[in-house]
Amino acid sequence: MKALSLTELKNILRSLEDRYDVRAPIRLADGTRALGRLDEGELAVAGGRLPRKPTDVFFPQHDLIFTAPAEGAIESPAAPGKPLFVLGFTAEDLDCLEFIDRFFAAHYRDDLYFRLREGAVVGGVSGYCGEEGRMMRIAGDNCDLELVCDGERFIVAPRSAKGREIEGGIDCAVTDATLEELRQASDLLSDESRRILQKASELIRADRVPDDFWAEIGDLCIACTGCNLVCPTCTCYGVQDRSWRDRTERSRMWDSCQLDGFMREASGHNPLGTEALRSRRRIHHKLAADPTRWGHLTCYLCGRCDAACPTGIGIQSVARRIVSRFA
Amino acid sequence: MSTTPAKPAARSLFVPVDCRIVSITELTPQEKLFRVEFPGGADLGHVPGQFVQVSILGLGEAPISVASSPTRRGSFELGVRRAGTLTGAMHRLKEGAVIGIRGPFGRPFDLERMGGKDLLLISGGCGLAPMRSLIQYCQDNPDDFGRITILYGAKSPEDMLFKDEIRDWEASERYACAATVDDVPGGSCYDGPVGQVTRLIPPLRIDPEKTVAAIVGPPVMYRFVIEELKKKGLAEDRIAVSLERQMRCGVGKCGHCTIEHLYCCLDGPVFWLNEVSGLRGAL
Ligand SMILES: Cc1cc2nc3c(=O)[nH]c(=O)nc-3n(C[C@H](O)[C@H](O)[C@H](O)COP(=O)(O)OP(=O)(O)OC[C@H]3O[C@@H](n4cnc5c(N)ncnc54)[C@H](O)[C@@H]3O)c2cc1C
Ligand code: SF4
Ligand code: SF4
Ligand code: FES
Repeated sequence: MKALSLTELKNILRSLEDRYDVRAPIRLADGTRALGRLDEGELAVAGGRLPRKPTDVFFPQHDLIFTAPAEGAIESPAAPGKPLFVLGFTAEDLDCLEFIDRFFAAHYRDDLYFRLREGAVVGGVSGYCGEEGRMMRIAGDNCDLELVCDGERFIVAPRSAKGREIEGGIDCAVTDATLEELRQASDLLSDESRRILQKASELIRADRVPDDFWAEIGDLCIACTGCNLVCPTCTCYGVQDRSWRDRTERSRMWDSCQLDGFMREASGHNPLGTEALRSRRRIHHKLAADPTRWGHLTCYLCGRCDAACPTGIGIQSVARRIVSRFA
Repeated sequence: MSTTPAKPAARSLFVPVDCRIVSITELTPQEKLFRVEFPGGADLGHVPGQFVQVSILGLGEAPISVASSPTRRGSFELGVRRAGTLTGAMHRLKEGAVIGIRGPFGRPFDLERMGGKDLLLISGGCGLAPMRSLIQYCQDNPDDFGRITILYGAKSPEDMLFKDEIRDWEASERYACAATVDDVPGGSCYDGPVGQVTRLIPPLRIDPEKTVAAIVGPPVMYRFVIEELKKKGLAEDRIAVSLERQMRCGVGKCGHCTIEHLYCCLDGPVFWLNEVSGLRGAL
């Protein structure tokens, strides 16, 4: 298989810039890693999941819906000049992406999402390039191509026709590197967290988690909305108009079910009127409501809400509490 | 059972169509009826129970049920209560003004399951607006349904919507119609029934096998009305309820309208009671 050094990888990404709007993990001036363009910072593929959800390239925090000039017809935002090439999804991020692709396509196809998503190339990152070189799960088919780090080089594993085409164009020595050992190491990763999440889901769905518990979690929540903002499967948004003399812009912005106004109606009726109900909603939605609707959990344990929550009530933490108390 | 948008797919799902307000009627001090026309007089293409997203540039959007029946062609009507920013601005519009419309959206009344049945149509407050779409539909398709009973409750005589039409329904052979008000302020010349709309149910003679009920009203109304209907032997899958939630997109994306696993904008707003009665916070 083809294998790339970091320098080779950087060159390949550079060469893709002719055809794609390339985004990859870079190091920002403050030392954190984020998706960015190659000239915005040093390439920083290794280091584990990115703090911010990478799906925001397709569903940005703030997205223009349309511009309405004072005179004339409404203008929808133009399609991007080049499709996106996005490297930096973990296996869990790719699971999340696969779900929101289905979510945005269901019933009414969300043209704003697919304006950016359609034609985009999605690259996964896995192998020995997690935090402090730890193993990250190998994704498989949920992407166009995957870069699997063997500790030194990135083995290029194409996963789709587009991925194969890009891999075919990579000009580097074919090595004897294989994924075999890496895959075995990936398979050995613990799935304890997943089991706990599944168990918590069963307990919630069996109505074994009492309201007192949600009140307790609600009391801990400071409604900072961090958990929602980092979650790749959180898709809720609000809509806002802003007007200037010559135009009005309507845009959508991520919203959070942890805010009091999320469901409040003009009449004052608020189905999520207490912190207990809102905390329940956050967890219940991914572990009970969505499983009923979609047939599976919609938390893929990317780990971000647990890392972001200042009061320690991310989904894994809550799931553990549920299992230890009510199983 | 959501329907496809009336406008061509090339347009963004989120871009409204400019529609003209051809007439405005004041229904009560809080409610106005807007008659709206699509460009070229095209039909909205809705089914009773569906809603549209009304848009005013600079202020945003609000979901409003269609108050007229699709059988009345060439234009459609919206009964709007002044409740906040957007609905307040609507109330300041003049005839000839342009508003944006997206839709129709949502699951409508299940006309198939209602077909051939006696209908018991119960609404409270502003809920008569969406119910009127169904009532007009029944009026225009008299052979499709059995006996039709209309019950309506308003806060006070002043708050009653569509007073003239209620009078017509009361006078019509086709309908049994009764309206009531919670309170009569001193000095009112109102001489109709007083009390909650639930009080109108016990005297009715209902064949639960042959009857379908529909309820549209404020959240507080549902529990009590449902209780009375159950006493009459009506099964949950014969009671349709139209639920209200905050809505931003109307098309199952923004997440504001969920009721556990259901989306009020997609799976509703009209539900059969058995679909939602077990769900936390639905009613
Ligand atoms: C399916 C459906 C049908 C409706 N039909 C009618 C109708 O026929 N006539 C009528 O007068 N009203 C109807 N409503 C209620 C109407 O949508 C609200 O009164 C309206 O959204 C208030 O908006 P506002 O900007 O005036 O108020 P504000 O309080 O300023 O609202 C700000 C924003 O909050 C959201 N919001 C607040 N309350 C509601 C609410 N109850 N429902 C949905 N979104 C809300 C909207 O996005 C709104 O733009 C309906 C609501 C739903 C869900
Ligand atoms: S771990 Fe948290 S942030 Fe990640 S998918 Fe699950 S709920 Fe969302
Ligand atoms: S991150 Fe934690 S404290 Fe902040 S809103 Fe979410 S649950 Fe509440
Ligand atoms: S209104 Fe946006 S999901 Fe229902």
